[in-house]
Amino acid sequence: MQAKARVREARLYLGKRYGMGLLFMLPWIIGFAMFVLIPISWSLFMSFNKVQVAVGGFKYEWIGMRNYRDAFLKDNVFPIELITYIQEMLLMVPIIVIFALLISLMLNQKFPGRFIYRALFFLPVIFATGQVLSELFLQGAGDIPFLEQYNLLPLVEEYVGKQFAETVMAVLGKAILILWYSGVQILIFIAGFQTISPTIYEAVRIDGASPWDSFWKITLPACVPFISLNVLYTIIDLFTFPLNPVLKHIKDNMFKVDTGYGYASALAWIYFGLIFVLIALVLWLFNRSLRTRRVH
Amino acid sequence: MIRRLRRVTPFQVILVTVFTALAAFMSLPIIFILNHAFKPQNELFLFPPRFLVQNPTLRNFESLILHASNATVPFTRYLFNSLIVAGLTLGTVIIVSTMAGYVLAKYQFHFKQLILSLITLSLMFAPETVGIPRYLIISGLGINNTYFGHILPALASPIAVFMLVGFISQIPGELLEAAKMDGASHFGIFTKMVLPLSVPAIATISIFTFQGVWGDVETSTLFMQEETMRTLAFYVNSLLSGLQNSVSGQNVAAAAGLLMFLPNLIIFLLFQRRVLETMVHSGIK
Repeated sequence: MQAKARVREARLYLGKRYGMGLLFMLPWIIGFAMFVLIPISWSLFMSFNKVQVAVGGFKYEWIGMRNYRDAFLKDNVFPIELITYIQEMLLMVPIIVIFALLISLMLNQKFPGRFIYRALFFLPVIFATGQVLSELFLQGAGDIPFLEQYNLLPLVEEYVGKQFAETVMAVLGKAILILWYSGVQILIFIAGFQTISPTIYEAVRIDGASPWDSFWKITLPACVPFISLNVLYTIIDLFTFPLNPVLKHIKDNMFKVDTGYGYASALAWIYFGLIFVLIALVLWLFNRSLRTRRVH
Repeated sequence: MIRRLRRVTPFQVILVTVFTALAAFMSLPIIFILNHAFKPQNELFLFPPRFLVQNPTLRNFESLILHASNATVPFTRYLFNSLIVAGLTLGTVIIVSTMAGYVLAKYQFHFKQLILSLITLSLMFAPETVGIPRYLIISGLGINNTYFGHILPALASPIAVFMLVGFISQIPGELLEAAKMDGASHFGIFTKMVLPLSVPAIATISIFTFQGVWGDVETSTLFMQEETMRTLAFYVNSLLSGLQNSVSGQNVAAAAGLLMFLPNLIIFLLFQRRVLETMVHSGIK
């Protein structure tokens, strides 16, 4: 009898504790379900339908996988844009991460005014999103506003010769994007370096390792989790960038009469599936490299 | 002083020079935005364009305010809407996310793993693609053309919770237990200990949230049909897209651009010291 009562008491106690957790979660859960979960599942449902605007709401017509098939077979923009963008991504991600690693290594050195520089490198993050960026894009009538506005091309041509000018300009154009995209990554790396205890460096130095060795043998292996985090962050950041051509194509299709929202959400789900596969692949690779390191 | 200077090695000199060059390069857009807004009409169309303004004027801002006051909705109304929406969203996001982050980091309860994985999954989804279902929900709830329509969609921010969970789990559990021993309630622990201790993380999410809300045109375009409920970002956006090819509106657009950018910069300067702290403690490892 007493044991039973005790079990009940324990259950009540657990229930109270669990309930408290859920109670604190509640506002967030409601908001999340309303404006993230339901819309996402709704769009999944719509992607199997032909959605047409009718009087007093939407008209759904179940067409199965046809939207997905049309995306590859009928649409002559989407597959090309998707492939070009992914190619560009595969090039940009390593460059951004390596660049961020180098910059953060340098920012981790002791030199006067270090804090100001750290802040400066984080600064682009505040206009890498939203209005300011799109305004800059608009003003520059293209991608890199001040390269054209300041008319650097003749200057570059003069110094490196006409035949190389185009390439140099392309690299310069990318360079700005890389700089703008590496703010958060630099911060994550700097934070990562703080977790390596300085005594290890001292120990290796006494054992006669050069700074070069200690980078490859200590800093880099200790940074693997941060590198993987940065790769993930960069992929997600580039893929959800509102001005990217694929998302623009999806948005254009949303309000077209003949394709409609069903088709647009099918495109979005294909895109989402690709990101998901890419991220799963990256995670799997990094997990494997972590595990093999632990075995040794 | 001389001794300090002597300790500067050649390596440091190179570092500082490289960084100064890079930093100058990075701040070019800011300088451009700042100068562009003060250029008189004839300088805006100089070819090749110049970075720096020669004869700064306030004409652009004047005509921005005049331009809007001729229209049906005055400029100040957009500004007021934006301020209200940004302020309220910031406040509610901070409260809701810290509460969620606190229990996710420190408590056990049902569906906790599910919620955590949902957060990570939803980070990958671009919100632009779910605009129409969101519109249907908003109109279903009957909150279009109200401030709720602006605030509620931004409420459950996955990024904010993601960062806060990492940060709050670094707060030692013993500290919270000690408070419980001394008779603090759950709510007391939350307001008196967790909130003050996670100020750096809150500062970081404030930057991100503010930026997102301040520059967001989606809620104004989709959920607001009345012009009086739309925000500054929407107004600036419509100015920019309407005036792309016209000559007379360029000065208005330049001034509006600066106006959109300034609050971001101010918030950033206020909170940037905290950001690095968050990153150091966010417990990725």
